[in-house]
Amino acid sequence: MPGRVKKRSPLKAPERPYIAIGLEGSANKLGVGIIKHSPDGSVDVLSNVRHTYITPPGEGFLPRDTAQHHREWALTIINDAVSKAGVSLHDVDCICFTKGPGMGAPLVSVALVARTLSLLYNKPLVGVNHCVGHIEMGREITGAQNPVVLYVSGGNTQVIAYSQQCYRIFGETLDIAVGNCLDRFARVINLSNDPSPGYNIEQEAKKGKRLLPLPYTTKGMDISLSGILTSTEAYTTDKRFRPNGPSAEDGEDIITPQDLCFSLQEHVFAMLVEITERAMAHIGSKEVLIVGGVGCNERLQEMMGVMASERGGKVFATDERYCIDNGIMIAQAGLLSYRMGYETPLAKSTCTQRFRTDQVHVAWRA
Amino acid sequence: MTISLLKKVPSSTMQIPFANEKHATIAKQVIDVDRELQPEVVKRTLTVQGNILVATFTTLTVRLARLTANAFLENVDLVVRTIGEFGEDAERVPSSR
Repeated sequence: MPGRVKKRSPLKAPERPYIAIGLEGSANKLGVGIIKHSPDGSVDVLSNVRHTYITPPGEGFLPRDTAQHHREWALTIINDAVSKAGVSLHDVDCICFTKGPGMGAPLVSVALVARTLSLLYNKPLVGVNHCVGHIEMGREITGAQNPVVLYVSGGNTQVIAYSQQCYRIFGETLDIAVGNCLDRFARVINLSNDPSPGYNIEQEAKKGKRLLPLPYTTKGMDISLSGILTSTEAYTTDKRFRPNGPSAEDGEDIITPQDLCFSLQEHVFAMLVEITERAMAHIGSKEVLIVGGVGCNERLQEMMGVMASERGGKVFATDERYCIDNGIMIAQAGLLSYRMGYETPLAKSTCTQRFRTDQVHVAWRA
Repeated sequence: MTISLLKKVPSSTMQIPFANEKHATIAKQVIDVDRELQPEVVKRTLTVQGNILVATFTTLTVRLARLTANAFLENVDLVVRTIGEFGEDAERVPSSR
């Protein structure tokens, strides 16, 4: 196969230890992580601290309130990460922050802190694409070589493959993200947002008994999710729907919130597996890497595992520490580009709500 | 057109004292990076005079002046708290690694 020619990595082994701090706050999680790259090629996570803004059941997180949360917690979390890592901010080589994509106000809040630290300590800034952060951390943790990446979170749903210093998007959602779909349904049935709505959906889905018919909307390499959400919501006004479980006089033909969670998950995940499999066939890869907040859903990992094993491949996934938004992934991706000589000058350290994965020049890969 | 409108509303000025000129300059540099969200109706000028950060806003309406000032002060608050938390540590001479 043409892709088999092993190219030399443009990333040279570091001549000294490099340390980077990463600040992430593109959605409702505020994360700070410190990473170290050693001359022997090893990568150490020195600390990885996160604080999540949790809203009451039935409510989502709004940009203003989320930004307020990040402003309140930023200094505490940074101090926590620094003391856990046992380093001083004087020791870090660069300060990495999320440039985008994400919600504007929370992004800007974190960027302000990053800029202030950069000027105070006279350290260079490195702006990082959030999606690339996820991919790089997933690759580092799992050791996957050249995987098809399924990036599924509250704001993004993309199938990505690497080619010629670019993470190319093979397929993505045409409307809402898969995490958004699940979170919004959790709101409809009033599930708790603690620790996350997606986690609670997953637990409820385990108790589901019926697979209800829902639309199955893959569109070539892309998927559409908003219609499925509407259809699932429509079941909650069905005469057979019992929000508090079946009562004594109910027969077999009833619908519980658990059944809906189960059906929604099965349909949505089946679609994701389908487009991922198609991308694998396209590029001839046998590895799948699942990253992003929805990636810690064990049912998704299980379904993907079945597909991958049928193709003689393997699934790589990480746990909630690295799947869910975190600061360490920003530090990892930022340090990789910093080692390739990339820095973000202060005047260019703005944030952008739209920043696609394929806009990044992946200089550190062959 | 908008510029002629802007000139009709008197501008408002805020003076924020810092501990020293360096910190005031840092605050100016940090906040200056982000453009105003509506640059056609809000004009912001930041300058440093000694240890004082001087912000001048020229806005189309009084409502915009309030919103802009609010957002600006929130940003200043965050920067001030960051400097307060890490300023001293940053001044310290780093020990060799």
